Amino acid sequence: MISGSDSQTEEGELVKASLNGDKRAFGEIVTRYQKMVARTVKGMLGDSVFAEDIGQEVFIKLYNSLSEFRGEAKLSTYIQRIAVNLTLNEIKRRKRFFSMFSQKGNSEMSEFEVADHEDEKRNDAAEIVNKALKKMDPKFRIIVTMRMLQGYSTKETAEILGLPLGTVLSRLSRAQEQLKRILEKL
Amino acid sequence: MDSSEIKKLIITSMDPDAAPGEIAGRLEDEGVSFDFRKGFSDRVIDKIFGVGLVVNRQVEFLRRFNSAFYRVALTGVAAIIILMISLFLMEGSISFNSFLGLGDSYDESIVCLLTGD
Repeated sequence: MISGSDSQTEEGELVKASLNGDKRAFGEIVTRYQKMVARTVKGMLGDSVFAEDIGQEVFIKLYNSLSEFRGEAKLSTYIQRIAVNLTLNEIKRRKRFFSMFSQKGNSEMSEFEVADHEDEKRNDAAEIVNKALKKMDPKFRIIVTMRMLQGYSTKETAEILGLPLGTVLSRLSRAQEQLKRILEKL
Repeated sequence: MDSSEIKKLIITSMDPDAAPGEIAGRLEDEGVSFDFRKGFSDRVIDKIFGVGLVVNRQVEFLRRFNSAFYRVALTGVAAIIILMISLFLMEGSISFNSFLGLGDSYDESIVCLLTGD
């Protein structure tokens, strides 16, 4: 069993053990961060089976690039970056795919999927959040996901997305405007 | 919390001075939570370590295939060299015609051979 009071040291030990092929150590990393990844992926892509595939891909990519993790940033930030990149790539891929088969304007709706049966189970708050995210531009949706679902500060959001602080602030303001318009109609 | 309060909370989360951590927590308390299906961690581990085995098998296959290819290639090169030496000894030159076995043939004799006349 891995012990240690400092969580970063503990994470470092988990990373080292995972690099040595310790399944349980990597399983612990997955268990710790799967909810965080789910918030990003499902917040961006909607609640679909594809979201889980992307979630799995995030951890597979993490495992394959674990040797490159130097511990300069927090492990959560590193995982979050992978999640954001893979999700944005998936959105681009879906947009390209749907734009080939559908009329202009329909592609944006298609890249966000929500299973109907899942939607029925959701309560009011979850339904409002989901519907609002679905109608947002992906550029702003990622900002909303980082702030509203992950609870990151502006600085942390900028760090994860690799954007200047000013850009994040301006997108926050525009995302807020878009959210207001969307929520008025809900 | 009613829907108007939830909407207000969502909009407030976009304020640069807001405490997003606190808002995210409140929304989670209201049921806004995301997670993968049960057993997600096990599925990921199976995929990673299962894929590892497949990759190892693929690497092993490629290694054996390469070694077999080199053996076949070396034998082939040796056979070609022996064939060229024997052609040179039999025909006295290594021309394209002698390589094709047309050493002393002329166009007319080839036409006769092919047409049977």
